[in-house]
Amino acid sequence: MAQSKFKHVKVSAIATVVPQREISIYDELQYYGGNVKKVDRMRKMVGFFKRRVVDEGVTSADLALAAAKKLLSDSGVDKNSIDALILVLQTPDYPAPASAFSIHRDLNLPQTCIAFDVNLGCPGWVYGLQIAHSMIESGANKKILLLTADTPSTKVDVSDRQNAPLFGDAGTATLLEYSEKELNETFFDLGADGKGYEAIIIPAGGARLPLKFSREADYKYIAKIFEPIDTANGRRVNLTDKYMNGLEVFNFTTNVVPEKIKDLVKYANVSVEDIDALVLHQGNKQIVTSVCELSGFPLEKCSYKTFEDFGNQTVSSVPAAICHTLGEKISSPEGIRALCSGFGIGLAWGSCLISLSGVKCSGVSDFELTDTIQSRSQLIDYWQKKFKDT
Amino acid sequence: MTKEEFLTELQDTLQRDDQVLETDKLSDYEEWDSLSKMAVMAFFDKKFGKKVSLTELGSFKTVEDLIKFAGL
Repeated sequence: MAQSKFKHVKVSAIATVVPQREISIYDELQYYGGNVKKVDRMRKMVGFFKRRVVDEGVTSADLALAAAKKLLSDSGVDKNSIDALILVLQTPDYPAPASAFSIHRDLNLPQTCIAFDVNLGCPGWVYGLQIAHSMIESGANKKILLLTADTPSTKVDVSDRQNAPLFGDAGTATLLEYSEKELNETFFDLGADGKGYEAIIIPAGGARLPLKFSREADYKYIAKIFEPIDTANGRRVNLTDKYMNGLEVFNFTTNVVPEKIKDLVKYANVSVEDIDALVLHQGNKQIVTSVCELSGFPLEKCSYKTFEDFGNQTVSSVPAAICHTLGEKISSPEGIRALCSGFGIGLAWGSCLISLSGVKCSGVSDFELTDTIQSRSQLIDYWQKKFKDT
Repeated sequence: MTKEEFLTELQDTLQRDDQVLETDKLSDYEEWDSLSKMAVMAFFDKKFGKKVSLTELGSFKTVEDLIKFAGL
């Protein structure tokens, strides 16, 4: 059982950034034959409502960078004191190198600060938090900037009514620091089940089904990869789209996650009454309320408001929910004890029981489009010139 | 829970306007989509402490099948 505890690590600042463009499900009645009642039903059952989506050309790394800048400017932390940058994402700017390095460059971090990406989705913030805790408690690092980001809206077609209204884009930043003084312990329980590897997957675009045109024969495969597939529930997709077996994921979530949350409560030797808030991955309203109730927590301790207002922000949904719904509480000197849990793609899950007090919380801010975002044409020209000049 | 209470709760779970009857075929419901199936799984888990497997979910053809699964 992957359980661990730490007593010298403190979360000192947190920030979330979302794109400015907001879409409400009520703006998309044309996809439901103008049937408001149908949309009302989806809102009531699943919590579909609003989501934020990026403009063309904006990537996960842009959102992560913006969240990092917001955190650094609001907290006033000396960036030269940061000795590790961890970026958790599944949509890097380039196949190589890791996007953490471009953020390292753009933040002008010192050479003493290491940087790397972690490829994880919905459980990713809790995993990243555990990695950062391990690095700090071991003495290897003193101050770590943990970033998460995803742009799931770019991976689904707007006419895909199963997935498009579900996902929202976001980036978050969390600052963790070493504390000489012993603190309230932070407890973790992480796990994985590779048997669910294909439950959520993007089949094409990686090394198994590459989008590569180096030989004539490749064209045959590329055409097949992009061949439209009509699904049983009326969606038109291809192999570069995200495949998700929603019922299998829901089944896994309600069977496994509540038990793991109970295990963590037991491991930390506390009771539900000692925990002020349950912050769950904002998969959808049904998932949040089911996991909350099956874990033995009262619904008052848990919110799905972040899902309703911003959509399922995948890897960023737990820190975004903290910024969105608990900002004032975690900023106060008394603070709160929160049990946070992320679960999904992998399949994997991670939960932590953490004391959050005196945290500099920047809340949820809008992403501002900068002129440094280059179009695809500009980028192609830029890279072609680079290649020619070598 | 009585059968009548079950039918009322099921109607609410499916967010269906029309009354739900024991003899109804699930495939006749416009609402019997993946969202409803998810809601029904959560309903059994929360109200009856019963886990519905995906195979069982696929085998439900009528409302009566759901009532039987609930053990009513």
